Amino acid sequence: MKNSFTDRIFLGLIYALLIIMAFAMLYPFWNSIVISFNVGSDTTRGGITFWPRQFTLENYNVVFQDKRLMTGFLISVLRTVIGTILSIVCTAVFAYGMSKRQLMGRKWYMILCIITMYFSGGLIPSFLINRELGLMDNFWVMIVPNIISVWNMIIFRTFFLELPEGLEESAKIDGCGHWGIFFKIVVPISGPVIATLSLFSAVWHWNDWFTASIYITTEHLLPIQTLLQQILSSNIMSEQMMQTNAAARSHMSQLQNVTTKSLTMSTMLVATIPILLVYPFLQKYFTKGVMIGSIKE
Amino acid sequence: MSFKKTSLLLLVCMLGMSIMLAACGGGGGNDAAKTESKDKAEADSTKPFVLGETPLTFSFYGNYDWYTMNPWGQDPATKWIQENQKVTVQAIQSGGAALQKFNTMIASGQLPDVIWGDRGTDIEKLRKAGKLVALDPYLEKYPNLKKWAGEKTLNMLRSEDGKLYQFPNWYTKRPMGNGGYAVNNKIYKELGSPKLETFDDLYAYLKLVKEKYPDIVPFEVGLLGQGIDFLYAGMAEDRNVGQVSLRAVPQGNELKSLFSDPVYRESMVFANQLFREKLITQDAITQTRDQVKEKVNNGRVAIYGDFDTTVLGTEANSMLRAKDPGSGYTMIWPLHKTGVDPNKVWVNEYDSLGWNVSAITTSAKNPEGIFAYLDWLTGEEGERIIFWGPEGMYWQGTNDKGAPIYTDKYKNEVEERSKLMAIWDTFQWAGNTAFIDGSKAENEMNLPEDKRDWATVSQTAVAWKTSFDATEFGNIQPLPDSDEGMILQRVSDIADKVRAKALFAKDEQEVIALLDKAEQDAQKAGYEKLLKFETQKWQENLKKINGN
Amino acid sequence: MKKSTVLSTLAGPGRKSFWFRFSRQLDLQLMVIPAMILILIFSYLPMYGVLMAFQDYDIFQGFLHSPWVGFKHFRMFFEAPEFWNVMRNTFVISALRLLIGFPAPILLALILNEVMHLRFKRIIQTVSYLPHFLSWVIVSGFVASMLATDNGSLNMLLQKLQLVSEPINFLSIPGYFWAILIGTGIWKEIGFSAIVYLAAIAGINPEIYEAASIDGASRFKKMWYITMPGISGVITIFMILAVGDILSAGFEDILLLAKNPVLQDVSDVIDTYVYRVGIRNSLFSYAAAVGLFKSAISVILLTAANMMARKLGRSLW
Repeated sequence: MKNSFTDRIFLGLIYALLIIMAFAMLYPFWNSIVISFNVGSDTTRGGITFWPRQFTLENYNVVFQDKRLMTGFLISVLRTVIGTILSIVCTAVFAYGMSKRQLMGRKWYMILCIITMYFSGGLIPSFLINRELGLMDNFWVMIVPNIISVWNMIIFRTFFLELPEGLEESAKIDGCGHWGIFFKIVVPISGPVIATLSLFSAVWHWNDWFTASIYITTEHLLPIQTLLQQILSSNIMSEQMMQTNAAARSHMSQLQNVTTKSLTMSTMLVATIPILLVYPFLQKYFTKGVMIGSIKE
Repeated sequence: MSFKKTSLLLLVCMLGMSIMLAACGGGGGNDAAKTESKDKAEADSTKPFVLGETPLTFSFYGNYDWYTMNPWGQDPATKWIQENQKVTVQAIQSGGAALQKFNTMIASGQLPDVIWGDRGTDIEKLRKAGKLVALDPYLEKYPNLKKWAGEKTLNMLRSEDGKLYQFPNWYTKRPMGNGGYAVNNKIYKELGSPKLETFDDLYAYLKLVKEKYPDIVPFEVGLLGQGIDFLYAGMAEDRNVGQVSLRAVPQGNELKSLFSDPVYRESMVFANQLFREKLITQDAITQTRDQVKEKVNNGRVAIYGDFDTTVLGTEANSMLRAKDPGSGYTMIWPLHKTGVDPNKVWVNEYDSLGWNVSAITTSAKNPEGIFAYLDWLTGEEGERIIFWGPEGMYWQGTNDKGAPIYTDKYKNEVEERSKLMAIWDTFQWAGNTAFIDGSKAENEMNLPEDKRDWATVSQTAVAWKTSFDATEFGNIQPLPDSDEGMILQRVSDIADKVRAKALFAKDEQEVIALLDKAEQDAQKAGYEKLLKFETQKWQENLKKINGN
Repeated sequence: MKKSTVLSTLAGPGRKSFWFRFSRQLDLQLMVIPAMILILIFSYLPMYGVLMAFQDYDIFQGFLHSPWVGFKHFRMFFEAPEFWNVMRNTFVISALRLLIGFPAPILLALILNEVMHLRFKRIIQTVSYLPHFLSWVIVSGFVASMLATDNGSLNMLLQKLQLVSEPINFLSIPGYFWAILIGTGIWKEIGFSAIVYLAAIAGINPEIYEAASIDGASRFKKMWYITMPGISGVITIFMILAVGDILSAGFEDILLLAKNPVLQDVSDVIDTYVYRVGIRNSLFSYAAAVGLFKSAISVILLTAANMMARKLGRSLW
């Protein structure tokens, strides 16, 4: 009785805390949505909080009229799907191998991997190598160099190391090799970590604007985030204006009025909402007992 | 053991391979480019390139994070150019990472035909490496740049070797600028329209505002507290705002320290007093442009002053007037210390070189054709088309000064026109300030007084008349990778810090103490050496301007 | 010692037996080798770029023709007047992030795990990960308007509650900066970072919970004795990685939140300093030298953290 009473207080506190937190996190997003539906010139007067003051769809019309954004959207989807699948499959296999004690050279492999997390040659050498490999202005430049993520490998490996050892013994007796054990036993019970890292990888791919802006010149190969970045950067330039001369200031401020806050928000939302939808879809893999259930089968 | 050896061997191989790769990337392209550029200079025929006869295609890179060129030929103006002049421009976009993009282009030896960006470091680096085409051979063959920019401006743009590599954008021969103080009409009238000329008037007025309207910001100084620098400009004659960002004050033939300058000190003490008494917005340094806009557009400031006054003011003025014709803003003559001649107060500065430049690289197959296009663009016809679109849309015919005569469509289709003009803005690489501003003023003067553009009125009446010609101080700052450049970086950090700290100081003594400390720190960083370097450059400029 | 045993098992008694054992586990090696080749191509081939730190790198000359200058750029960094201040800020901000920012998502995951109402849990989970997708430019805009003295919502609230008489200039007083920075960081990333812990919790055998319930353990006890140990492996690994990242105290967030130069004494960290002095001025070698210094320190810290973790039975290598 006593336990359940403290339990209830405990739960009550948790719910209250979570609701407050959720509000603090939802508001800026909601506000961005509201601003994207408000008339641009009216937005500059401020004071828009929970609901648009002068409703309009104009900001979205502008976005959807821009043909570049639509192809950018398709490219983003394509690279995210292909990039994530390739990366997760390859990295998981890699991590499984790395989790085996009997792997010869395991320690050296690991050290070689970890060094790459901290030492990098910088952009210019990578650029020259990617160019030699024929990846310039090539869709695959957004995928191939990022297939193996050391960071993801380490997480995968940590999860694989936590698996009960007995699990694999039975399979070994059945005559399965490492590959067989991996695909038949390890993958089915690793739902949560695969879901998590797929999400991380997908989010990374979706949000990465930099790779394309360096390597891709053909306009219809640019992902949507690179295009969004162009719009966002045009909005922060006023901060850098101070350092330049008078003529620069006056002409930049003319340019600056082109993209209103409302338009920035609508573009941002169009570019963000698709990837937001991935998480709720993956959440079913986070339910307790996934692992045990599949073992019993 | 053997495993260790193998892995070591592997690493060595990798390193070797990569160094080889580096060799082909960096060194190889260099010599080829150099010889190529020589060929081009010699192949220069005497017959000028005629636009429209031979098709011309070139690639164009704008070296700014924020710059995105609109697609060529998709709007009336560039479509006209494509059809009539047979010019096609392929954009290379910075994609929000201009610095990195620029570096990778150089490292891989794949330069765009035209680079458009700030004068100074990047362009100078390209020139030193022999990657730019000198424009001098073309100057005589094509009329417009020479005519509109003038010999003096071109002299200033010349590099150390005496050649011209930069095609200027928005160069000018007359004053320009957007900065100044704008007074909120409604509040001003309600407070009895007191005299507003000197800093004493300003102080008294701000006090009055604070007392009568506690919710109003008495003095809005804009983004990064730009308006605070106006106080420096008004403290003595012939001081100008640019000296604060230059971090140097001219005295006789020398540039002197900003921090020990008595005029600067006095202005910081005054700024501190206004800030301490909450007469200046307390968010001065940290606010975003949106926050400034919000206050100004709602009429929640009594006096607004920064470098963008005519830009933000126009929008705010029309918004406020729409609700109440008696409200809005009026730009006033810059305020000053008692005894200072108001005609020698400069809150704007301009230089004849304008904003930025286009440079033609040795990768260009037809550099003369590109020059011909830029020269056409900066002339009357090119400017009219890229600024107002092809004839028949927003203008029909010109007056005797070449200014386009606006059509009704221009006056009626404001929204559509603003959108198009914003698109065309991204194609203006050879802006001709004198022609554009002159043409705008011609058209503006034909309108009845209440229909005139607030910005144009404010500019012609006040802003342009209070703009200081700072041409002689152009390009005097050292390149960032030089010793002086490192000093400049440090002095700039010190200056930014002390300016902000002085605002938050609790009394006059602290302001003085902070400035003393800044002077010390700057000297330790090598300020003297920097000032000497800049003095020398400045004197060289003066010689160039005077035509020696 | 342990190291020597690892080596001897690696190399084996002789060459023949090495290849023999290698071929016996060829299928296992084939899981690892292709990935290692990709790493060699895309990470190790370009690594000659670190040599830039010892050169006066000239982008037109390339790596082969730029002059070698030894440790010049390292000395320049160590002798810069800003050096100690920058190091102090970097360590303090990182330490605060480790102390407060690191446990926050773990706590959120533990709390979410206690929520039985499935739909509520999913909504909170989704909402809490939203801020991750707002760019720092947009976030800093919100922070600036919320903390403004003029019409800022926080100051208005404090004044209404009569907690302060005059608005507080949050973004200009150095004393508040670290709190604002860490707070905003947690707000932005807590939900996203919690995901991996939620995944770890999902892997815990529910039968253990059932057994504990029969024994009459309270929620809190179950959390402490079952859930925490269940995810300690992931926590340890993340902790090691976080220690290795101590010199990366933030970049874009600091740049955008510390706009007032008054804050520089508390806000300037290695990455912002290098950006301002090195990258923005195209001083490649200088930036590379500082980067190399950072990497070296990171690897030392990581090794130390890994050694400590090994004593607890978990380690990276």
